[in-house]
Amino acid sequence: MTTRPAASPLASQVRPRASWAPPAPMGTWRLEWLRLTRTPRAIALAAVYVIFGLGEPVLTKYLNNIINHAGGAQRLKISIPPPVPSDGINAYVGQVSTIGLIVVVVIAAGAFGFDSKQGLATFLHTRVSNIWQLITPRYTVNAAAAITAYVLGTLAAWYETSLLIGSLPVAAMLEGMLCAACYLAFVVALSAAAASVVKNTLGAVGLTVVLLLALPIAGLAHSIQNWLPSVLVSAPYDLISGTHLTHYLPAIGTAVVAAALLLIGTAARLRSREV
Amino acid sequence: MTNGLVAAGLGGTVKLPPHLLAALAPLLVVVLALDVYCLVDVARARSVRNAPKIAWVIVILAFSAPLGALLYLFFGRDRGKSGGAPSAAPPGGQATEPTPASVADAAAEPPAPASREPIVTTSGLTRDYGGTGLFDVDLVVPRGSIYGLVGPNGAGKTTLLSIVCGVRRSDSGGVCLDVARDKIAVCPDVPEFDGWLTAYEVVDLARALVAGPARLGGAGREGGAGRNSGSDAILAALRTAGIGDVVDRRVAGFSRGMVQRLGLACALVTDPELLILDEPTSALDPAGRAEMLNLVAAMRGTKTVIFSSHILADVQRVADQVGILRDGRLLYQGSASDLIEQHLRPSWLVKIAGDAARVAQVMREQPWAARVEPAGGGLIRVDADSIESGERGIPAVIASCGARQVSCEPVAADLESAFLALTSQPLAEAR
Repeated sequence: MTTRPAASPLASQVRPRASWAPPAPMGTWRLEWLRLTRTPRAIALAAVYVIFGLGEPVLTKYLNNIINHAGGAQRLKISIPPPVPSDGINAYVGQVSTIGLIVVVVIAAGAFGFDSKQGLATFLHTRVSNIWQLITPRYTVNAAAAITAYVLGTLAAWYETSLLIGSLPVAAMLEGMLCAACYLAFVVALSAAAASVVKNTLGAVGLTVVLLLALPIAGLAHSIQNWLPSVLVSAPYDLISGTHLTHYLPAIGTAVVAAALLLIGTAARLRSREV
Repeated sequence: MTNGLVAAGLGGTVKLPPHLLAALAPLLVVVLALDVYCLVDVARARSVRNAPKIAWVIVILAFSAPLGALLYLFFGRDRGKSGGAPSAAPPGGQATEPTPASVADAAAEPPAPASREPIVTTSGLTRDYGGTGLFDVDLVVPRGSIYGLVGPNGAGKTTLLSIVCGVRRSDSGGVCLDVARDKIAVCPDVPEFDGWLTAYEVVDLARALVAGPARLGGAGREGGAGRNSGSDAILAALRTAGIGDVVDRRVAGFSRGMVQRLGLACALVTDPELLILDEPTSALDPAGRAEMLNLVAAMRGTKTVIFSSHILADVQRVADQVGILRDGRLLYQGSASDLIEQHLRPSWLVKIAGDAARVAQVMREQPWAARVEPAGGGLIRVDADSIESGERGIPAVIASCGARQVSCEPVAADLESAFLALTSQPLAEAR
């Protein structure tokens, strides 16, 4: 007969069997790490950036051959100027600023979309005393993952470009990575803010993408063009083409401040949002 | 090979220069590694999503690499895949199977008198969703009581519990809690967790969110006393909730009943003073329900439990305090026995030898008879306005009709009858 203590159901002392060891202690930071590594998120993020980094410079180098081979039957001759090293990076940036960015937004919005499931939202909201317990690890880990994936992809593109097309300036490449990192930090914060406005994860992704597309349109106004984070998208290419980093300092400042403000807004929204 | 690699193709052979080979090699390695990883993952997975395993193998191999692999990662990979084989025996010992004896018991004990000091008080709590919601609810939950909140669908039970636990706001009125926020645990009717966590990790997370992460001891991962006690508490909570044998299984593979038990384990692990359980037995089988009620009953006096349920027999079995909600209004609040006494008419089941229809007809004409219903086979159910009038009147009517009384048994009063009597009245009258 199984009996339970009447006074406290938790009073029983349970000892795990010798072969079973409890896993590492859980916490909100470990939760985010496991979210990346136990789901396809980390692999997908790294795969997208690294594959573009490895593939785009090769395509750029042999674009002429590929086009002419494809049009060989009609004897159609298309001539493209020989690529320069910056073209390899430009092709990589062009791809990751669309497909790569969407992957980042989907992953970040998914991490911040915990309120889309009522049971999960109740579990979290009734336990945390401070909403930053949830926001800080989610933002930090997702932004770090996005930046790491971008850096890995850039290193791959750098290697391929140097091998196939020509060498790239080290300082400009590092500055380009800095600009891209700031932009990705801004994008993750924007995804978090969108998830705090729209409960549905797909809706949050859509809202983020629309806002990211709206930024370059707003940049048509010359007075604010240099201040918008969206100019950082092309910075890695522009920097190795001769533009100075100081040109991007206003946009970097805006991205950092906007990310901080968006996170504060996210905290306020999540704190006041009903489950 | 003297200068590069010779590759054969449809158009003949192409000589790849060494620098191109060096450039393509990393790309090929990454793409192949991704495809191999996905193929191994498909082979090892117990199940995959959206398509059969063989279909995903074809997608991975046939689609332009690495597109097929990425499609599999996003749409095919089963998030419930276990990190290891399910253990045959629970880490903590034997699985907790409910036994008739264990289920007997604490629930069957007479409710202990609860302390008069309230732990939860609401005053004029109102939340209007446009005609539905909550209206002017004054809830009083005595410390140490088991408070059963009952009501039909849409009565406002979940809204009331959500406001009490702070995840929703009221339009007016207030909630007074005589307990620290971190000593309140909530288990919603449909708990949800990240499916890629194991049951142990979910409960550990529930504990860490309230108490902070357990620190590793100086002697290694399991060396610290704090870590051990934390681990013991987690395992104990899982065992108490009846899922001690699946601690290392991922939650995505759990049934709804197991998830509900996991929700309870999360609530118990922090040793709360106030436990709010929304429909805690809704997804459980009969044995699981009995076990859950037994567990709730065992907390009487040591914890305060507020639980909502549609199943009145469950409430009657364990609750010493009952609140009845209907259309957002609290119709009754007090002890279950008082509710039955106040809102249930005395009733008898009389067996007649003779003309039962005539007896029933005469019985209906009596001023003390509230309801008379023939039940077939010479049986008549008689509700009277008082016990005395029924006990005196029933034999007299039977005698006057020249019939013989075979038996006359009082019908046991239950919460369901009282609930129906109360909720079938017009709202103003019921209040």
